[in-house]
Amino acid sequence: MNVDLIFRIAGIGIIVSVLHTVIKQAGKEEYAWLATLAGIVIVLSMVIQVINQFFETVKTMFRLY
Amino acid sequence: MDIIQVLAFALVAVVLLGILREQRPDIAVGLSAAAVACIFLLLVGRVAAVVSVIRDLASSAGVNEVYLSTVLKIVGVAYVAQFGAEVCRDAREAAIAAKVEFAGKVLILILAVPIIQAILETVVGMLS
Repeated sequence: MNVDLIFRIAGIGIIVSVLHTVIKQAGKEEYAWLATLAGIVIVLSMVIQVINQFFETVKTMFRLY
Repeated sequence: MDIIQVLAFALVAVVLLGILREQRPDIAVGLSAAAVACIFLLLVGRVAAVVSVIRDLASSAGVNEVYLSTVLKIVGVAYVAQFGAEVCRDAREAAIAAKVEFAGKVLILILAVPIIQAILETVVGMLS
């Protein structure tokens, strides 16, 4: 269901933040930034699907063509 | 009970956002947008039922189809504009949120122009 998506996004956020801290502690600043960027891209691709579904639904329901 | 479902969903989203907002505000914006869209998708069936009832009432009352579809389009534009503005405001971009709302207002005005024109033409016809 939809709750899955919310949990998945929150999980990715927590993992990314932990990863960021760990890599930063290891002294690889640029890799930490890269991990954050990858997390943001993954989350964005998941959010965009839901938002696309939302827009399509509004378009068909209110006949906004 | 749908309201319980929505409330539980919202509470879960709020708790997760509370954790995430401190650590990663960039991902928290995506999460809140997804939560809003999911809650809307949860309720979409009910709204569609109401819209179809309104359509039936209007057709049985003999209202011109153009007017009703214009009103529904305005509701749709307002809904989408509100959603965009809320997401922008969530990301603390109040300027872009204000511009999104402005765009919504302008587009609604453009949609309403034919109805305003029809009313004015009727008034002018009554006067002359």
